[in-house]
Amino acid sequence: MSAVIEVKNLSHYYQKGTPLQVTALKDINLTINQGEILGIIGHTGSGKSTLISHFNGLLKPSEGTVLVDGEDIHKDKETLRNSRFKVGLCFQYPEYQLFEETVYKDIAFGPKNMKLSDDEIKERVLRAAEHTGVSIDMLDKSPFDLSGGEKRRVAIAGVMAMEPEVLVFDEPAAGLDPAGRKKLIDLIKDYHRSTGCTVIVVSHSMEDIARLSDRLIVMNNAGIAMDGTIQDVFSRADELTEMGLDVPEITKIFAEIKKRGFDVPPDVYSVDRAVDVIRSLTEGRAGL
Amino acid sequence: MQEKIIELKNVTFVYDADEEGKTNKPAVNDVSLDIYKGEFVAVLGHNGCGKSTLAKLCNAIYEPTEGAVTVKGIPSEGEENGDKIRRIVGMVFQNPDNQIVATIVEDDVAFGPENLGVEPKEIRRRVDEALKSVNMYDMREREPHKLSGGQKQRVAIAGVIAMQTESIIFDEPTAMLDPSGRKEVMAAIQRLNKEMGITIVLITHFMDEAVKADRVVVMDKGSIIEQGTPREVFSKIDLLREHGLDVPQSAELCHSLGLGDGVIGMDECVDKVCAMLGGAV
Amino acid sequence: MISDITFGQYYPSKSVLHKADPRMKLLLTFVTIIFLFVCKNFLSLAVMAFITVLAVAVSGVPLKTILKSIRPVLIILVFTAALNIFYTKGGEVYYEIWKIQITEKGVNTAIFTIIRIVILVVLSSLLTYTTTPTDLTTGLERLLSPLNVLHIKVHTLAMMMTLALRFIPTLVEEIERIMNAQKARGADLETGSLVQRAKALIPIFVPLMVSSFRRAYELAFAMTCRCYTGGEGRTRMKQMKLSVRDFVLLFICLTACAGVIVLNIFFEAVI
Repeated sequence: MSAVIEVKNLSHYYQKGTPLQVTALKDINLTINQGEILGIIGHTGSGKSTLISHFNGLLKPSEGTVLVDGEDIHKDKETLRNSRFKVGLCFQYPEYQLFEETVYKDIAFGPKNMKLSDDEIKERVLRAAEHTGVSIDMLDKSPFDLSGGEKRRVAIAGVMAMEPEVLVFDEPAAGLDPAGRKKLIDLIKDYHRSTGCTVIVVSHSMEDIARLSDRLIVMNNAGIAMDGTIQDVFSRADELTEMGLDVPEITKIFAEIKKRGFDVPPDVYSVDRAVDVIRSLTEGRAGL
Repeated sequence: MQEKIIELKNVTFVYDADEEGKTNKPAVNDVSLDIYKGEFVAVLGHNGCGKSTLAKLCNAIYEPTEGAVTVKGIPSEGEENGDKIRRIVGMVFQNPDNQIVATIVEDDVAFGPENLGVEPKEIRRRVDEALKSVNMYDMREREPHKLSGGQKQRVAIAGVIAMQTESIIFDEPTAMLDPSGRKEVMAAIQRLNKEMGITIVLITHFMDEAVKADRVVVMDKGSIIEQGTPREVFSKIDLLREHGLDVPQSAELCHSLGLGDGVIGMDECVDKVCAMLGGAV
Repeated sequence: MISDITFGQYYPSKSVLHKADPRMKLLLTFVTIIFLFVCKNFLSLAVMAFITVLAVAVSGVPLKTILKSIRPVLIILVFTAALNIFYTKGGEVYYEIWKIQITEKGVNTAIFTIIRIVILVVLSSLLTYTTTPTDLTTGLERLLSPLNVLHIKVHTLAMMMTLALRFIPTLVEEIERIMNAQKARGADLETGSLVQRAKALIPIFVPLMVSSFRRAYELAFAMTCRCYTGGEGRTRMKQMKLSVRDFVLLFICLTACAGVIVLNIFFEAVI
């Protein structure tokens, strides 16, 4: 696997050199591989938003470097600008960035800034619309006439249309109801599967992340506290709770069952898996 | 029979109903609902199901297109009655930023009682008490924009407590908060209900919050489709799914394992699963 | 970060000036600023400078913080000084080159104006350093309340000021957020001609407007829910009461003003 983003000794301070200096990131080292789907969790203020804003050069490291495709993104203006298109960033509540008269024009904003040909822009808009389930007849509407969920998908399409190598989502499901959450998570999953792009998802919700990614990074106190598979991280549920993260109810239930002396795995985070685990336990015993 | 605080009788509400030539679908459709004194009711439903409109009908921000809303016998008609009703039913909104009016926390909490014309000394007493009850007293001199989402929301709650309304409607108060903010706010809401006896209507789409209520009302497409205790409601897993809702994981697990429906809460679930496992040994 | 921009920065302390009645502070600041322009010679200006220094000394606000407030007007200071030095003519000629003359009167006027502006800035920022925005707007509301007779809605104006003060930091944060979102979509805000740059602001301006209207709408709901019906029948948690302290401040200020008039009469005017 080759690295697409490499973060080396990255530190970031806000209001550097003043008495109000805040360390947002401290000596981060991180490699993100081509084609992987990576989850980043952490409570508010743990530095996760600051970290992702470094991936496309919106923030400049106070110390250290960020390499995209092996190149320091702050090498020169050209590289910096290209990094914006290589790493697409979709912020929290992206629907608030909509501004154009039509949905089509809004999705086309990114590709237009890339100075692509009109044909190429059209192709990309249509592809992005398809990925996000934005229907053709919606393209001519004003984005402000859409429902909340539709707006969100249009905004995501706007970032997807740049066809970046890496797509970063900051709290993509914030404010959505359970059905909406599930739909959006599936959308991201499908996008990853069909394009093979690298996808990074930042979230508070362990459940959403568990449904999505293979690898998980936990941020705490401006640093990376854990980096591993979903199983590794969830098996340390106690530490996660201490960091102020919300562990899924089912994981807590299994931790309790384990405490009562039953031999259950610690990394249960979905009801389906829980049912499998219990079934195999009871059946195994019934068979004896 | 307990005393009713809010009564909705066959309430229908259509946005822009007065504008001619417009035939919008009703946001709330023929809803009848009584809220009793001291109750904690959760209204559950997916986005756009009409639950926020229902909330605004309950404190006379909107007047029903058809049917009637009465709060302690006062019909929600006209501005004057609206003011009376809002002295009984307070409201906390989703976006913590858009409901704080002052530049200092304690001044914001004082805003409501000031509007009611309460004596200055009494306002001071109420403000201090309200801030203490949501654990924000130590931050009374802070600037609201420097607080976390959960803290801002608790300031907003204190602002309503200081008005001493008998009932508070929470319109998705945790939707924009992180997990720790959600916990803070839920703890505050439960305390208001249990310790101060304030009637609570909590509009939400989080199941784990609805579980804490005395009664859960499920809405879809402007109508009430189900109501009952959390245990009763969450035993209807298929029905809830059909309407785009989830059930708490504990209920789902017990249901899937055939351990009975309507199990809510971790402890009960753990007991049942352990009994099952123990029985198999 | 832009969100650090705040004006009317309040500096918490328990000094005499902090405790003084906001109405008195507003009034006295207003009066002193007027008398700043009544001053005709350096002696009378010295009286104003003296009470300014006195005010700073008792304010409990560090000198460094106060000097910071002068920084934004430095350019104006340099500009007015230059303007006065080169264009005001009269008295002894100190220096002459080609058509430019630097005269006694020019130099005096320049120095005089600089001191005047510095005092003006220091006094007005002292007002905001020692008074919370809420007190300031409430004070202004009370002070102007006689205008209600003329059907000027003083309360509404004060409420608008409070809300503006409350929402400026929120909106600044919002602008930052929208800018980042559009930059992430490749929006170029830094290069291009003036027209291009103005055009590049549309993607920021439109979402800002949309969200501001949404905020205003929600805020109006929230205020209605909290029984806000305008200024009538409202009470205030924080009562304003004039104390001996306020009259002492008034006395000092009036003495200084009288001094200015006396010195103006008995000594020669420089400007």
